[in-house]
Amino acid sequence: MSDIINHEVVHLPSQLIVDFNKCTGCRICELACSAKHEGKFQPSLARLKIVRYDDLGLDIPNVCGPCETAPCVDICPVFAMRRDPITKMTYLDEDKCILCKSCVGSCVNGVILLDSVKMRIIKCDHCGGDPECARVCPTGAITYGPDSSSATIDRHGKIMSYLKEIERTDNVSSTGAE
Amino acid sequence: MIVASGYTGKILRVNLTDEKFKIEPLPKEWIQPYIGGDGFGAKLLFTELPAGINPLSEKNKLIIGTGPITGTMWPMSGRTVLISKAPLTGIWGESHVGGFLGAELKYAGYDMLVIEGKSEKPVYIDIHDSDLALRDAKSKWGLTTDTVTTAIKKDKHDPDVQVAAIGPAGEKQVRFASVMVNLARAAGRTGMGAVLGSKNVKAVAVRGHGAVEVHDLDGFMEFAKAAHMRVRTNPIAKGMSRAGTWGLVAVKQEIGEFPTHNHQTGVFDGWEKLSADYIRPRFTIGDRACFGCSLGCKKVNYVKDGPFAGTLEEGPEYEGLMAFGSLIGIDDYATTLKGNQICNRYGMDIISAGSTIAFAIESFVKGAIGEEDTGGLKLEWGNRELVIKLLEMIGKREGFGAILAEGSKRAAEKLGKGTEKFAIHVKGLEVSGQDGRTHRSIALGHATGARGADHLRSLVVVDQLGYEDVAAKRWGADKLPEIIDPYTEKYKANAVFESENAYCIRDTLIVCWYTVSWPPIFWMEDFAKILPLATGENHFSKVGNLVEIAERQVTLKRLFNAREGITKKDDALPDRFVKDPMPDGPGKGQIVDLEPMLHDYYALRGWDLETGLPTEETLKRLSLEWTKSYS
Repeated sequence: MSDIINHEVVHLPSQLIVDFNKCTGCRICELACSAKHEGKFQPSLARLKIVRYDDLGLDIPNVCGPCETAPCVDICPVFAMRRDPITKMTYLDEDKCILCKSCVGSCVNGVILLDSVKMRIIKCDHCGGDPECARVCPTGAITYGPDSSSATIDRHGKIMSYLKEIERTDNVSSTGAE
Repeated sequence: MIVASGYTGKILRVNLTDEKFKIEPLPKEWIQPYIGGDGFGAKLLFTELPAGINPLSEKNKLIIGTGPITGTMWPMSGRTVLISKAPLTGIWGESHVGGFLGAELKYAGYDMLVIEGKSEKPVYIDIHDSDLALRDAKSKWGLTTDTVTTAIKKDKHDPDVQVAAIGPAGEKQVRFASVMVNLARAAGRTGMGAVLGSKNVKAVAVRGHGAVEVHDLDGFMEFAKAAHMRVRTNPIAKGMSRAGTWGLVAVKQEIGEFPTHNHQTGVFDGWEKLSADYIRPRFTIGDRACFGCSLGCKKVNYVKDGPFAGTLEEGPEYEGLMAFGSLIGIDDYATTLKGNQICNRYGMDIISAGSTIAFAIESFVKGAIGEEDTGGLKLEWGNRELVIKLLEMIGKREGFGAILAEGSKRAAEKLGKGTEKFAIHVKGLEVSGQDGRTHRSIALGHATGARGADHLRSLVVVDQLGYEDVAAKRWGADKLPEIIDPYTEKYKANAVFESENAYCIRDTLIVCWYTVSWPPIFWMEDFAKILPLATGENHFSKVGNLVEIAERQVTLKRLFNAREGITKKDDALPDRFVKDPMPDGPGKGQIVDLEPMLHDYYALRGWDLETGLPTEETLKRLSLEWTKSYS
């Protein structure tokens, strides 16, 4: 099999795809991410974030992309944040970055960070095409592959339908995570 | 400040009387003999707590401890231990809890938090990296654990703050009050919540942005990832991912060890409605995990109809199904979920709560007490509403609930009238969901456990569930088949001794009960490999050294208890297990003969066979002679 090269293969751009129904909130992804990129276990510097809603029993992984529009790119005043037109992945040119934190504030998933110790912007780079978080996820809640259907805009609707399904939107008001 | 990799090297002390925080270096000389977690806690509590103090006085201290593995990628590394002199038993008290607190404490930069003294007014301890404060908790006093957790997160404008909170039961110093983490993770046993309540501490809030660094990251990650795969591919672990510990119900019914009607028997007619296959499709809506866990045994459940419709809560585990189910004769999962929710919100230990209620019901049903004692309540087996009502009364210390809030041992002393024989406890701690008559090794474990009738320090699962291959590997094929025969006393001391040692190391790392104790995946040789990778201490790479550390720890806890007056006579079981043969089920007629097992166990531990106290020789061998200057 390995001798056969299929020249017709079309490489669709891959994205991190999240299924929060599968997420158990274990945060192994945060640990593996910080270990790979920082050489230590430090979830506060992980390039993704699990938001845990204990009162709802829900855990929602927040990863970089897929974004329909990329606010981090739009807002960057010095064009340090740019977007690959094919993969749709945004990436940061650290040499141009002036640490204004605009991208940090504009990221809809809250996964762009300012490391105030080393003074740098921390941003997911999908580990160059083999994301550690997807590799270590025990339940397949985070996967990496071509999927254009799972856009950010769909997620809110998904959450709402999930909550309705289990009839618990009525009497749950505060989440502690506003 | 770092003394070895894996540690933060700092102990944070808060003195509530003076309202002062103090940061001390972690003594380097503690690492080799004690590793961390339980070990550090035992060392600190033994040296700093005078004998004979009232656990609910300001002289008591409460330790929140972590280990060198806490907060790393090793499977299930988010565990934390709370250690104090126990209000329920008056002896060594510890309670381990999952969730995310331990890891967060280490990220904040501390290996341990030691809470001392007593605050004049309600406060919560706020640890935000190096920003330390005691914050007013007047408006939070009286709140249930879930509302106070939410309130603190709102105060701090940060959903990632980890909160350990007590509920009304802790404030009212219910003897078995728990400390709740992440709303549904309980440091339940022995009454740690009452200690916090007595100190006027409503909660501990922790947020950390720092790191845990290990000695050899590449080696550590390789071994840790392989360990995660071992968990994920283990068939029993897969079953636990699906149904947590509920699977035990069917198994224990089959072997006749499902405690029913206050431990009178080991088989329950209504067990099917409490089994995993019944519950999961009807109630479970989500799977959750604690920090760094591949297994994810926590289940979110929702009751759609019936008297408890609308209940949304995690749990309960097997012990909850037992405590609010079979133990009280209730064959209804929704009741156990509701009971679990009340215990979580009020902050109470489910095992002690259920067991104390079962004690009261049996006392009533057998005519020892009457409506004049219960304040007009008619107690009976299998009454769902009654259980929920009693739980709320205990949490508020109202009426008859105030007596039950003292735990079964004290309640029996107060009620008198021969109710003592219905209080199923060892050293004051209510017996968990096992039965020594159909599982001999747990009889020895219950009798000798440092904190009382305990299923977490030495429960041998290998014999109970018949892992013949594991037993042969761990203890030698020559001890088969007796060592896995649950109906014989032979070799049970060996099994308990070796298991207790391994669990001791587990509790110093600190990692979860599951995958070490059950299912049997990780054991001493794995700890001997991961500890040096994490800490750089080669001393930990030999299993023999780890065994010695474990033995030291068990004996140190024994010395702590001895100082409080515990001797061999206290290593006893309730009459029910040693005088009443199992009335029915597959283990019918079985009874515990404790003495020969105790004898073997003391011999293995190097404790005196007459007094049950460590001998001179043992103290010398385990380098514990220093303890003599603290008597």
